[in-house]
Amino acid sequence: MGLLKGSASFVRFSVLGELPENTLDFIADRVIAFSFKDIDDTYDEYSIGWVSILNMFDSQFQYASYAAGDYITLTLRIDERKVSPAILKKVLQKEEERVRLERQLPKLSRPMKVEIKERVRVDLMRKAIPIPSIFELCWSLSDATLLFFSTNKKIHAVIEDYFKESFGLLIRQQIPYTTAEHLIDEEQLAVLERISPDIFV
Amino acid sequence: MDLVDLIVEKRFLGQEFLTWLWWKSEERGGSVELPGEGDVTVVFEKHMLLESGEGESMEKIVCTGLQAELQEARTGLRMGKKLEQARIIIGHRDYEYSFTLAAALMEFRNVRLPKTETTEQDKSESPEEIEGMTLERIYLFEELIKLVNGLFRMFLDVRLSAAWGDELQKIRKWVAKSTVIDHDQGEM
Repeated sequence: MGLLKGSASFVRFSVLGELPENTLDFIADRVIAFSFKDIDDTYDEYSIGWVSILNMFDSQFQYASYAAGDYITLTLRIDERKVSPAILKKVLQKEEERVRLERQLPKLSRPMKVEIKERVRVDLMRKAIPIPSIFELCWSLSDATLLFFSTNKKIHAVIEDYFKESFGLLIRQQIPYTTAEHLIDEEQLAVLERISPDIFV
Repeated sequence: MDLVDLIVEKRFLGQEFLTWLWWKSEERGGSVELPGEGDVTVVFEKHMLLESGEGESMEKIVCTGLQAELQEARTGLRMGKKLEQARIIIGHRDYEYSFTLAAALMEFRNVRLPKTETTEQDKSESPEEIEGMTLERIYLFEELIKLVNGLFRMFLDVRLSAAWGDELQKIRKWVAKSTVIDHDQGEM
């Protein structure tokens, strides 16, 4: 949803820094190197990487290219194993009671409780099916801008880091002030730096 | 200044723009003349969020309503609040966009693009058709950004010039005018 279909929510980023001359080869290498790796058959808790905008199971871009005209279109996929606190609490209480009875103790010691909690958490985590979330982006190579299809600030921090890791480029969100810097001349910029809020009543 | 500081210190810039745009759109009955692009229809509707103060003293009001004369929102303006979010319809040439602009961070939310023949081809299978459809959607997103940036540029041109004093007086009159409407209603 968003880039390809339906209603969309997005913010804009500037892409800072230079790409190498063989831009498309460089991007091709990096996209594959940082593509998504499935964790369904592992015990990993977290995985992040690039997939096709058309199919989140296509991390090798076999069925569709990520290049469209002058744009690079990618989906950032994040899979995460999570255990709800209520489930953890429930299973933990049961397990503590089982161990206490088994060892015939009046009360469990603190180190024992810590050990049981970690064991239960790891066990539940391994059973949990990774929850996928996907976020589309559209990178204009000629404008050095990026449309990122989420307004979630936590995800903005994630895309900033992962984009830098993947392509060695910094991205900076275009808020009104930084957008203005691209729209006005130097004289206006000097005024912009000084202005303070005005009262409209 | 780094981005985090700019977000806090210059928060007002986007809000002043959106508030100005509301006035500007009403000044000529829902139409704004964008230099180089001609007339653009700009209609504020349904949903508004106004904000005043900062940090712990921040106050917000949300106003919704289909028939929105948006009296509550206008009252908010009179209390010194500024527009932080608004649902806007922008029309230009044959295209009509509907979206919510969150002003402080310039977020585009729930953007509905105009329907075109290419974007409506839902069952396209060939890579060329899919690429064509993707490019058309990207083009429409960029057109919307261009229009909003054009309007923002218009605001900046006046906000950063000596003409701002006059403009501000007109906005203040417009804000005050809604007081009269409220007063009349109160006497009825």
